[in-house]
Amino acid sequence: MSRSLRAMESPYIVEMEHITKTFPGVKALDEARFRLKAGEVMALLGENGAGKSTLVKILSGVYTRDSGSISLFGNDIHSDLKPKQAQQLGVSIIHQELNMCSHLTVAQNIFLGHEASHATLLDNRTMRKQAEQVLQSLHIDIDADTIVGDLAVSKQQMVEIAKALQAKAKILIMDEPTSALTSVEINQLFTLIKELKAKGCGIIYISHRLDELQHIVDTVTIMRDGKFILEKPFSEMTMNQIIANMVGREIKEKFPRVHAQKGKKILSVKNLCAGRMVRDVNFDVYEGEILGIAGLMGAGRTETTRAIFGIDPKESGTITLDGKELTIHCPEDAIREGLVLAPEDRKKDGLCTKLSIRENIALPNLDMLCNKLGVVDRKKEDAMVEKVVQDLKIKLAGPEVDASSLSGGNQQKVVVGKWLARNSKVVIFDEPTRGIDVASKVEIYQLMNELKMQGIAVLFVSSEMPEILGFSDRIVVMCDGRITGSLLQEEATQEKILELATRFENKFAL
Amino acid sequence: MKKLSVVLLVLLIASAMFAQGTKESSGFKVYLITMDQMDQHWVNVDKGAQKAASELGGIQYKWLAPDVKDDAKQIEAINNAVAGGANAILLAANGPNAVTAALKEAAGAGVTIVYVDSAANFPAVQTLATDNTAAGTTAGKKMLKELTANGVKSGKIGVISVNSATASTVAREAGFRKAFEGTGFTILETQYCDGDAARSKDMSANFITQGVVGLFGANEGSTVGVGNAIAEAGKRIVGVGFDKSDMILSLIKSGHLLATMAQNPDIMGYEGVKTAYKALKGEKVSPEYFDTGVSVLTKATL
Amino acid sequence: MSVIKRPLRRILAIRGIAQVLTVTVGLILLCIVFGIMNPIFFSSRNVANLLRQIAPILLIGIGQSYVLITGNIDLSIGSVVGMSTMISATLMTKGVAPFVAVLITIVCCLALGLSNGLLVSFAKLPPFIATLGTMTIARGIAQIANNNYNTDSIGEAAQGFRDLFYYGKTLGLYNTIWIAVLLWLVFNFLLTRTKSGRHIYAIGSNAEAARLSGVNLVSTTTKAYLVSAFVSCVVGLITTATSGMGTMDAGNSYELYAVAASVIGGVSTLGGQGLLFGTVIGASIWGVLQNGLQFAGAPVAIRNIVIGVIVVVSVLLDVIVRSKNVVKKKKSAASM
Repeated sequence: MSRSLRAMESPYIVEMEHITKTFPGVKALDEARFRLKAGEVMALLGENGAGKSTLVKILSGVYTRDSGSISLFGNDIHSDLKPKQAQQLGVSIIHQELNMCSHLTVAQNIFLGHEASHATLLDNRTMRKQAEQVLQSLHIDIDADTIVGDLAVSKQQMVEIAKALQAKAKILIMDEPTSALTSVEINQLFTLIKELKAKGCGIIYISHRLDELQHIVDTVTIMRDGKFILEKPFSEMTMNQIIANMVGREIKEKFPRVHAQKGKKILSVKNLCAGRMVRDVNFDVYEGEILGIAGLMGAGRTETTRAIFGIDPKESGTITLDGKELTIHCPEDAIREGLVLAPEDRKKDGLCTKLSIRENIALPNLDMLCNKLGVVDRKKEDAMVEKVVQDLKIKLAGPEVDASSLSGGNQQKVVVGKWLARNSKVVIFDEPTRGIDVASKVEIYQLMNELKMQGIAVLFVSSEMPEILGFSDRIVVMCDGRITGSLLQEEATQEKILELATRFENKFAL
Repeated sequence: MKKLSVVLLVLLIASAMFAQGTKESSGFKVYLITMDQMDQHWVNVDKGAQKAASELGGIQYKWLAPDVKDDAKQIEAINNAVAGGANAILLAANGPNAVTAALKEAAGAGVTIVYVDSAANFPAVQTLATDNTAAGTTAGKKMLKELTANGVKSGKIGVISVNSATASTVAREAGFRKAFEGTGFTILETQYCDGDAARSKDMSANFITQGVVGLFGANEGSTVGVGNAIAEAGKRIVGVGFDKSDMILSLIKSGHLLATMAQNPDIMGYEGVKTAYKALKGEKVSPEYFDTGVSVLTKATL
Repeated sequence: MSVIKRPLRRILAIRGIAQVLTVTVGLILLCIVFGIMNPIFFSSRNVANLLRQIAPILLIGIGQSYVLITGNIDLSIGSVVGMSTMISATLMTKGVAPFVAVLITIVCCLALGLSNGLLVSFAKLPPFIATLGTMTIARGIAQIANNNYNTDSIGEAAQGFRDLFYYGKTLGLYNTIWIAVLLWLVFNFLLTRTKSGRHIYAIGSNAEAARLSGVNLVSTTTKAYLVSAFVSCVVGLITTATSGMGTMDAGNSYELYAVAASVIGGVSTLGGQGLLFGTVIGASIWGVLQNGLQFAGAPVAIRNIVIGVIVVVSVLLDVIVRSKNVVKKKKSAASM
């Protein structure tokens, strides 16, 4: 009786106090607190390593708290919260890394863990129907019987959202939900979020795309170094204030562009063809320049970088580096010539997550660290690793730590760091700052600048318009596998880029 | 005077008896060391050895065996025998090189070595074991005789063996094939069952489908399968195999198997002791290899 | 989407159906080839024998498939067969009624299956290591069951048992075949139509996603290993019935035949995928090869090479098809 009274009194559906969580070597949460009201969209902001992911994982039962109290809908949770229990209480989390069973269908994934059954037999018909209903309410055009593994990443994310809705979530946690979505899908998502708000759901929105927040966010909670910093209505804060609170210092300029002497043409890509996504691509890059490659998701930018680097086979075209035409059949060929790539999916393609940081950094550079017999010189290795860690300010407990235990930003630094020791002529970055906190982003920009100052040509693919606009010296835009235009930094605007990015051949609507 | 002569006589008789007794206890010490104590096979070796020892007299016989087949334990047994003053050791070696070090020491202490059932890579006076090839030929001849008696002069014959590596079964098969050289019978490609009686049965059934007139099993598992297949098929097929087991004997009794080749462990023990005795007496021992042969068990002999 | 085409499209969309159809064609071709080489292959006697020879392979294939689909492996299958035959035969030779002996044997084998499940899911041992250990233990139990000897004959009293599991026929087909078919129907049903079955596919596809969705990893993994132990137990009982005694060597290498049958039938060794119907075809191909190659008079070495090549090709196909799917996904991502 008194419990439900309390529930009615308090407008908060989530109350977390004095939450502490320690992992080996790292104190992830330090007396953190968090509150959420029904019908509120709360942005949970902070650098990588601030503790946002840990906090929401405790809320959803994935991790157990060391100490502190959690109260959901006015009810205290005394014991450890398990995932299934959290789900039943109405907490659903959509992870940054997708959690789908790729061999099962969309409907099967949506109902995974709480399948509808008719006396121990699966009721596939009901599940398919309900799945279709949920998908339709989200305006997602996917057949409920599609095998999830056959879907694009962006569609898989939509399925995750559908799954959370199906589980009748009242508290929905979204961790970087828009990172793999097109602008159309993002708008759909925001409409949906507003609908959920109206229904009384509380939404915790974690994102580094600060410019998106204005469309949907009511309140902002900022965390730093595992501690709670502040909670304020979004309307009462400016972007600079938000960023300042996240990093603990004022950041003067978001995109620290530097001017460098542009040198000779160092890389020349001509008539590159590699399947549907890379069709007759031509561009040049000069020493000491940063070339931004813009375009929508699926324009073929990543595929182009992979074809140049030798990961995917190319059908035709030439790549000329410093006047010499290259034959690249595999990444090894490219690396040897001084052409390196930091890939889009850093966890899958950029790092050996089970190896230590030292091993990751040393890996492509072993030829420089080994003597004639192939034995690794530990001293040289340690020196190289230390230099990289220092130069990039990688936050870690020690070089022997598993690469998988680092935050996204620090992982990216390791991915990039391993190329630094080589005398590369061209460095390609594919989405270098995706899913990374502001402070780390700045460090990556500084790194790119340093390469530029050294006369190295830098290419980077990015989906963040401001980044492309603010940081590149020149911009090429791709659409549907072709280069549709090239702009100098001075003349580029968001509108021009967007126009080039949507210049499809047949002009069918997105 | 009379008292003195009585005392002297008593002393004389006593010393004579005493001397006799001493001579008795200074007979040859012969130890039998087998692979383990449990297998009926070794029990029979021991029985045969005991028989020879009591027949010959002048032998102190003892059976030493580890409780399980274990190299270290067998080495220990050999060492114990030597320490106990053995004059001769009858040994069924666990393996060709497993115990050679201990044997070297024994030989160095002047112990005579005789192998029963399994030899080691170390010189010995004699090895008494089953000549598997000869045994295989015996089996083949038995089958041939039966087929001819039934008026069958040609046809196909199937062979089920264990694998292509085990020396004993490979030798048996080779001997079996020899018996059929120059006859009108064709022996088909050998099938290997890994000693699994069920797989042997399946393979035998396939042979029967192919119309064989005879089936041969090279070990216990193979033979059981052969017998079961012949029983199920209900056809007049001559089945001959190896080893003695309850199941095989019952298949012979029911008439589904013609005969099985059983080793003669008792002969190994019996002749082994006799050989040791001869050697200890300083006589020459030959041959170096004594084939203890196989007993052909049929319905009639059971 | 036309309503008429939907069921057909759904069948064709079933993951892995392509390989199953391919190997079915392969099976038919194989039978034709062997039949031409030696027409006795098609005789009614041989067909009856052949089906009965396929049955045990199908049974262990079912068990291994269940475990493979969860993303694990069971190396103890062959030893459980040995354990089952030795325990059942030893008990029967000691006068225990066959029915009771069967029950005791089933309990023992399920205990081993339970151990497998807990070692892998609870103690988190790699399945290869865990089942390698239980494989040795089970083989050891098979050996000490009758004090390191093969057993005596299980006797006349067990004739009913022998007929039930092996020698008897029902409606013209050997009982063994019926046992395999019935158990296949049961386990296929459980796999495709129940929650547990769905969870088995889920944890093989993405164990972490399944766990976060509330699927109980321990109970699902253990269920798969229990199924595997159960069917291995049944095969052991069939073996006892066949031989009329227990041999300690029974079931040697069966776990590998079970893997072969599963893999040829399209079950992926990486988990999450595979149709139990494919295992039927895989087991049939295995049985047909053993049977047909004997009739063709092929030397054992050739037979081993042939079978080995087929298994390798099947796994290669699995990998190639998988990488084609990855390329397809990238292309469809690009088309977004």
